[in-house]
Amino acid sequence: MSDGNIHGADIAVDAAGLTATGGVDPNGVSTSDATAQANADGAASKRRLGVGFWIAVFWLFIVFFAATFAPWLPFKDPDSNYIVSGERPPYAPSGAHLFGTDQDARDLLSRTVFGARVSLTVGLVAIGMGMLFGGFMGIMAGYFRGWWDRVISFIFIIFLSFPALVLAILITALLERSLRTISITLGILSIAPVGRIARATTISFADREFVLAARTLGAKNSRIIIRELLPNVLIPMSALALLGMAVAVVAEGGLAFLGLSVEKGPTWGKVILTGAGSRDLQKAPWIAIIPIIVLFLTVLALNFAGDRIRSYFDVRETAL
Amino acid sequence: MNKNDHIQTDRRMESGAPLLELVDLKTHFKTERGLVRAVDGVTLSLKRGESLGVVGESGSGKTVLARSIMGLLPSTAVKHGSVKFAGQDILGFSAKQMRHLWGAEMSMVFQNPLNSLNPLMKIGKQITEPLKLHLGMDKATATATALQLLRDVRIPEPERRLNQLPHELSGGMRQRVMIAIALACGPTLLFADEPTTALDVTVQAQILDLIGEQRRDRNMSVILVTHDLGVVAGHTDQIAVMYGGKLVEHAPTKTLFANMKMPYTKSLMRSIPKLSDPSHTRLATIPGRPPDLVNPPLGCNFAPRCMYALPKCHVEEPPLTPTADPKHVYACWYPVGSPEFEKRDAELQATGYMPEDFSAVS
Amino acid sequence: MRYWLQRLGVAVALLLAVSALTFGAMNLLGDPLFNILGPTSASTLPEDLEIIEAAKAEYNLDDPLPVRYVKWGSAFVTGDFGVQFSVDGQPPVSDLIKERLPRTVMLLIIAQTMAVLIAIPWALFAASRADKAVDKVSTVTSFLFIAIPNFGLAVILKYLFSLKWSIFPLIFNAADPFWTRVWQLVLPAMALALPVASVYQRLLRTDLITTLQEDYILTARSKGVSKRNVLFKHALRPSLFSFITIFGINTGALLGGSLIVEQIFIIPGLGTAIVEAILREDFPVVLAIVMIVTSAFVVINILVDLFYSLIDPRVRAA
Repeated sequence: MSDGNIHGADIAVDAAGLTATGGVDPNGVSTSDATAQANADGAASKRRLGVGFWIAVFWLFIVFFAATFAPWLPFKDPDSNYIVSGERPPYAPSGAHLFGTDQDARDLLSRTVFGARVSLTVGLVAIGMGMLFGGFMGIMAGYFRGWWDRVISFIFIIFLSFPALVLAILITALLERSLRTISITLGILSIAPVGRIARATTISFADREFVLAARTLGAKNSRIIIRELLPNVLIPMSALALLGMAVAVVAEGGLAFLGLSVEKGPTWGKVILTGAGSRDLQKAPWIAIIPIIVLFLTVLALNFAGDRIRSYFDVRETAL
Repeated sequence: MNKNDHIQTDRRMESGAPLLELVDLKTHFKTERGLVRAVDGVTLSLKRGESLGVVGESGSGKTVLARSIMGLLPSTAVKHGSVKFAGQDILGFSAKQMRHLWGAEMSMVFQNPLNSLNPLMKIGKQITEPLKLHLGMDKATATATALQLLRDVRIPEPERRLNQLPHELSGGMRQRVMIAIALACGPTLLFADEPTTALDVTVQAQILDLIGEQRRDRNMSVILVTHDLGVVAGHTDQIAVMYGGKLVEHAPTKTLFANMKMPYTKSLMRSIPKLSDPSHTRLATIPGRPPDLVNPPLGCNFAPRCMYALPKCHVEEPPLTPTADPKHVYACWYPVGSPEFEKRDAELQATGYMPEDFSAVS
Repeated sequence: MRYWLQRLGVAVALLLAVSALTFGAMNLLGDPLFNILGPTSASTLPEDLEIIEAAKAEYNLDDPLPVRYVKWGSAFVTGDFGVQFSVDGQPPVSDLIKERLPRTVMLLIIAQTMAVLIAIPWALFAASRADKAVDKVSTVTSFLFIAIPNFGLAVILKYLFSLKWSIFPLIFNAADPFWTRVWQLVLPAMALALPVASVYQRLLRTDLITTLQEDYILTARSKGVSKRNVLFKHALRPSLFSFITIFGINTGALLGGSLIVEQIFIIPGLGTAIVEAILREDFPVVLAIVMIVTSAFVVINILVDLFYSLIDPRVRAA
């Protein structure tokens, strides 16, 4: 048996969930139809959620659980100063303070957990508003087209014309910095990105035969939207929800770095900011770096879970 | 290997040995469903300057055969047997070794010229690329050669074409450019994979004539892969008919058309609509679908679809047997002309089915 | 031609809408006078009253909103961004902009350049070894860089490369010679560049893999072209289109990100200017910077469109 072939690579499933079949080389040689069909059958089985997905869900569960029940769990008070006489804070991680303390001897573990309450709330409200209003507007625009579409799309484009964060900066600079205003501001900013995708998804489904079929059966528009379109649009949207939440949480962190986040209480951004100065970073890196890791893992988990959901439900009509 | 090996090829040829020799070539693909036997034992040989037509339906393995010989297969492919080119066994060559042959000694013209030419690269550059690569030409010489090649393939206004992009040319012209590219370094073996399928009928003839002309001028061997028996009729010296990855009939062209043995070949022949047929003649088709190449049926691959099949056909695979002419081989238990065939043929005609009208079979 | 006029029209409409939104926010969210002057607006001290009058005149606060908008808009377009009320001597805002803008621009250019220089070789490498172990590692790495928020990355980079291993300097000094300043900007640019490079790389890799399945790649191989040249000369150019589109759009994301990175690395650019202005409650500055940054973004997107149609000859021919 001799193998005088081009030594390239075969692609089964890549991390973004794309499925390709047959042999694909940098040499660009693809196999015949027979093997393409054979591989397509096999590739379908690879479309599971996967171990990574469940690990991500587990982490998210821990974070959400801790954040939700923080006041009743045995965490130290996030605002108290636990100064040990004779030693100047900040204190490195130890048995007493698992994440260490910041320069004012506040326990970082509890600040991270209580900060999660704020950051996650902001994330949830932001993406919730985005899905609700943006989703609604997007579906209206995508389904009814015409005048609706033109107006709504223009609104979307206006909001999307602002570079990231800039509009958030403007609004939060002008208003009081409470949890409510920050959440709502980010919520308003989520409407356009979510709405745009909702619209695109709706358009792609509205053209399909099952909608046409429902119409010819005499179904009212509202019925079509609710029974036929919504379930189909919701699936990519829920994957988007997880991704969007990650973006909102990061946005809050960014705002905190500009001094524009919630004034009262810790948030992830503020906790990280506390330790970001050069001197603190050098002497006590844990103040910034541990919360950064927590934030990073959460964002990673949200991104990953969202991505896996998307590829799991992404039923390709034609095997590549 | 470099350009001087080209000359070696010629020297080897003088001894009269065939340019290309395939012995029991098999190409299998590893897939999740199993091993796909795309080419399952093909033996042929081709002399310098000769033209071979490889005919079959899609899925018959004809394209894989061509690419197997050339070595342009993905890494899921596993080859067996031997492929001797100019006396050298190239089956086991790595891509690196084959690269010296590609474009220089053997080249391929592909089916769809719109997709087969780089849409963002000027025509001239696509032609001069192999010239610079294999023959070491400088830009001026290469451009002049490219110009001459365009003239050889009869493209009008060749100077203008050099700077144009593929989408600015018509389908027929693009195919001519593909041929020019393939001929650029003067290969000894040219593969043409369905070169006319994507073209208008009038242009088809021109392209085939062009290939034939170049073959004669350059003493080049040609392997013409197609599903269309009509295409190979006037342009080949020998024809190999493939079905289900196997060679089912192989003969010099004239012999094949005069004396086809395999019922499959006959039905291919009949499925070509003829201008001389009266209007509204039913289009004769071969019912059924090509065999599953992972689990081929027992016996003859064509038996499930063959109107002349008898029990033995479903159980034992017919070997390739020669006729009186040793160059004509076929694989069938009850070929055309045999008593069983004639009996069945009579039966079919008696029940009102014209031999031309296979589509009426349920 | 008509297409371009249309596009231009949309852009102008967009700028108008954006400016209206921004101006509206400034004047409707809270008391405009407060937004301009801060606490001084409520003062009754005589010297402050003068300032208040000046502000009212300057910002036409006695006029109705639409008039104010038009007056502000026409002044803005001619480069008159108003006056910094919170700074002694009340210099024009444009002075501040002129001073700070170049640094932000420099940071952005360095960041995008780095991102492209990292992304293209990375994508070529990953595509040529698609799905082998190296590629899987590369995929995971790019996911990590995409997930980490850029302020987090900035802090970590600062910690590792400026503090722990003193490779890069901590301070940006505007007075330093050009190349020294470039060096000082490398680390902040990295914080911006690494995540976007990962995004570019994933996109380009996917497109390369798709392109490599095209028929003309097979033709190139059948001509004897080496694997490397197939990638560079045949596959790369047709694969760049999505990448270029994202490149333009990303400049906006980078603009936002640079605001934060400037804070962390203490670079006196637009980002720090806006934060200082917010702290000082000098909202005309905030307004001006927001408008400038947004307009730049809109213009960049148009330029990307233009560039796109120029490089794809098939679009031009159509």
